[in-house]
Amino acid sequence: MATVSLDNVNKVYDNGFHAVHDLSLDIADGEFMVLVGPSGCGKTTALRMVAGLEDITSGKLQIGGRVVNDLSPKERDIAMVFQNYALYPHMTVAENIGFALKLRKLPKDKLDAKVKETAEILGLTEWLDRKPGQLSGGQRQRVAMGRAIVREPSVFLMDEPLSNLDAKLRVQMRAEVSRIQRRIGVATIYVTHDQIEAMTMGDRVAVLRAGVLQQCATPQVLYDRPDNVFVAAFIGSPAMNLYEATIGEGGRSVRIGSQEIALPDSVTVAHSGLAAFADKQVIVGLRPEHLPAASAGTTGPTLAGDVDLVEALGSELVVHFTIDAKRVIAEGAHSADAESAAISGEGVARVDPKTPVKAGDRLNFAVDTAGMQFFDPESGAAIWQ
Amino acid sequence: MRNRKRTGWHRVFNGVNIAAFFVVLFIGLPLYWLIASSFKTPLGIGVDPPQYFPDPLSVANYKSAFVQYDFGIYFRNSLIVTLAATALVLIFGTLAGYALGRLPMRGKFTMLVAFLMISVFPEIALIAPLYILLRHLNWLDSYQALIIPYAAFNLPFAIWILRNYMLGIPKEMEETGRIDGASPLRTLWSIILPQALPGIFTASIFCFTACWTEFLMALTFNISNNFRTIPVGVSQFGTIDVTPYATIFAASVVATVPIGILVFIFRKFVISGLTSGAVKG
Amino acid sequence: MTTISAAAGQSAVAAPPVGRPDTNRRKLARLGWLFAAPALIFVAGVTIFPILYSVVMSLRNVSVSGTGINMTGITGTNYSALIHSSVYRYALGFTVVYTIITVLVELVLGTVIALVLERLTTGRGWMMALLLIPWSMITVINAELWGYIYEGTYGALQAIFQSVGLGHPNVLGTPTPAIIGMMVADIWKTTPFVAIIVLAGLVMLPGDVYEAAEMDGASGWYTFWHITLPLLRPTLALAVMFRVLQAFGLFDLPYVLTGGGPGTSTTSLAVLGYDAMFKNLDFGGGAAVATSTALLVLLGCLLSLRTFRVQVGKENT
Repeated sequence: MATVSLDNVNKVYDNGFHAVHDLSLDIADGEFMVLVGPSGCGKTTALRMVAGLEDITSGKLQIGGRVVNDLSPKERDIAMVFQNYALYPHMTVAENIGFALKLRKLPKDKLDAKVKETAEILGLTEWLDRKPGQLSGGQRQRVAMGRAIVREPSVFLMDEPLSNLDAKLRVQMRAEVSRIQRRIGVATIYVTHDQIEAMTMGDRVAVLRAGVLQQCATPQVLYDRPDNVFVAAFIGSPAMNLYEATIGEGGRSVRIGSQEIALPDSVTVAHSGLAAFADKQVIVGLRPEHLPAASAGTTGPTLAGDVDLVEALGSELVVHFTIDAKRVIAEGAHSADAESAAISGEGVARVDPKTPVKAGDRLNFAVDTAGMQFFDPESGAAIWQ
Repeated sequence: MRNRKRTGWHRVFNGVNIAAFFVVLFIGLPLYWLIASSFKTPLGIGVDPPQYFPDPLSVANYKSAFVQYDFGIYFRNSLIVTLAATALVLIFGTLAGYALGRLPMRGKFTMLVAFLMISVFPEIALIAPLYILLRHLNWLDSYQALIIPYAAFNLPFAIWILRNYMLGIPKEMEETGRIDGASPLRTLWSIILPQALPGIFTASIFCFTACWTEFLMALTFNISNNFRTIPVGVSQFGTIDVTPYATIFAASVVATVPIGILVFIFRKFVISGLTSGAVKG
Repeated sequence: MTTISAAAGQSAVAAPPVGRPDTNRRKLARLGWLFAAPALIFVAGVTIFPILYSVVMSLRNVSVSGTGINMTGITGTNYSALIHSSVYRYALGFTVVYTIITVLVELVLGTVIALVLERLTTGRGWMMALLLIPWSMITVINAELWGYIYEGTYGALQAIFQSVGLGHPNVLGTPTPAIIGMMVADIWKTTPFVAIIVLAGLVMLPGDVYEAAEMDGASGWYTFWHITLPLLRPTLALAVMFRVLQAFGLFDLPYVLTGGGPGTSTTSLAVLGYDAMFKNLDFGGGAAVATSTALLVLLGCLLSLRTFRVQVGKENT
């Protein structure tokens, strides 16, 4: 069985555009690796280099231990699912699935057996004689997967396969894809721009930005310990609130705007590097879920904000507030529209649905300091030790 | 679309329908005249005032077209030349249309414009040199004398049409084929062409019509009776003094019916071909 | 607000590595040339070379003998003969004016028909099929049909004229009626074709623009003039351009219907060229006519491209 290994892989186009910078990544056998990032970050380019659809400018690519840089896609033993499936519309489902096998001159009985088997895994048996035009979006997506599965490749490559489905279907298919991958047990590289997809599906997630790998870790680690501001802002929805702040002496407090927040020892010790930033500026990050509404029993530090808008989701209230601090934007972490609409000093918090709050109120939030993130304002790197 | 309530006989006799009726008259009357006259006797065709309905109805003209005027030969020649030229156009046209539409070549655009520019040159400018060349090759009065120029003349438009259709096919098709293990030629044959079928039909019907109706080259190159095509043959029915209209019309009906049926069957493709940008009469 | 851009946090990047060129792309590009070459050679061979040959021929003394065509010297006599030839000057003017008039009439009439058909609720399919028949007819046959209609003694036209007391028309024997008669035949055959193009263009127009106009209170005529026409312009422009360029080569209709007559009143440039070459065996003169026709077409092409700002298939690769 195979693993995929990228070693300092670069992609430079003819016009000089450097799409992928020194990407090094290892995907273990059977692992579901997600490449995520904003559009143009190079994730699709990286995937296509693994597929053999783009030439590798420099670096080494290995599949199953052998160097495949110069091999054609067919020789690499990979299978790919495209964003819009690229099903052959003039062929039936059975013919679509069996096409690659037919090209390999597999004897008809073996071919039919394999196609049937694959169709069963995907629940497509009754659709084998239909043409793609007669199928629904979800079914077509399954046919696309069937085409990939039937070849029993060493690696699955998926390029945003769920992007063309409507929201509800997408959630359903997410689980399906994961289930199927687990059953087949083949190493998979999955590209998406949707960080929720990345988090829910990936064994590990690689965050890319402008062709550079930002961090590759399990979803939980990305959430708890983002390596830099970009990853912190990109992962999590609603996005993390980022502010300019000043560190107090010894790293024991942080001042956001006009408010000072005392940091417990546990936090100071965990982020011992903060001491070097005393009286200096840092970027502080607070996830909306770490800002519950303060109640009578709250003992820890609080943050007060002027409420602009309250969105009731039923399970919680999403409170939009402003404080007198300067907001930080990680370029590219959100869509351009979202960035331009952001108001200075705005923040988002997720509070208990029973909290009595409305627009115009001034609300106290209990700060979950354990979840706070700190970043060097120049490099964007997270401050830990 | 505007919804205007039409009740009763207003539903039938409104402005649009009346106008449409006149359109039908405009086109239909001369057509009727053509068809009806083909059934007139030699006497009936030249009578004044003319017979608005043939009396007696006679199919003698149809017989004489074939027996007296060798129309069968002309029909055969037109068929051979048209089918052969269309076949050539389809083969070379799909290859070129595919290349210009989906393969990464530099100078694609220039080539396309060159093809289109060439296609507007008037036939008269090419007649004499082609005649001289064909004479030199001893190819005058032959099938290839027409097949080759016809194919060459219809290629630019066919390439335009085919390229347009191929552009509409999702670009991932080649990549999927590549990953599946298909060679570029196999990809073209098994994956792209079946999806470009409407374009192939469109190109075929246009080429067919153009070849079937071409006159100048057929007149100049294939002079002998054995190789004449329909347009030339029909124009030379009769003598200086006598124009046997009835027989001419009979032959015309026989000549128009097949192409009319083809165009009717493939009308969807004709219309989409006409609106895809370049238009030839 | 401060922004952290992608450059922050990255160490100075060394010059990007220059790797091997995209091999598959090169392979496909070569294949592309291979695929396109046959068509290119074929078309160029049958069109470019003859055109150049024609141009050369028009500049030489050409004589015909038993063995073939002989060309000697370089001379402008063929062209000076043209300029001095009243028949040529007439043919040039006639071809241009004939084209302009017929195309204009076809355009207007065709658009009217298309507008009518667009409003039609039933039978539109059959109407479109009917419209295609004149287009698919052989031009020679069309010429014979109208020749029969215009026939002096037993044609349908003269019968109709006589029954309404308009006397006895001699269409094909008198210059101006012959020209008009030819135009009518041409218009009859080509208008349906224009109507189809316009109709197809109309059908593709977005409906919401019209709904907005209706809500704004625009009248039918205003809507047509200010919304429909501008939206139709691209379709019409290209159709007109090709129709005009093709019309400069007018041959079939005059040759069969009038033989270029009476006299030379319906002799188009192409008929003149053909007669010169294959009736008078004056290949030099005929080539000059042919070349001048080609130049005319080229000129018309450039002019219409600029006038209509039509971009021929500019794709975004």
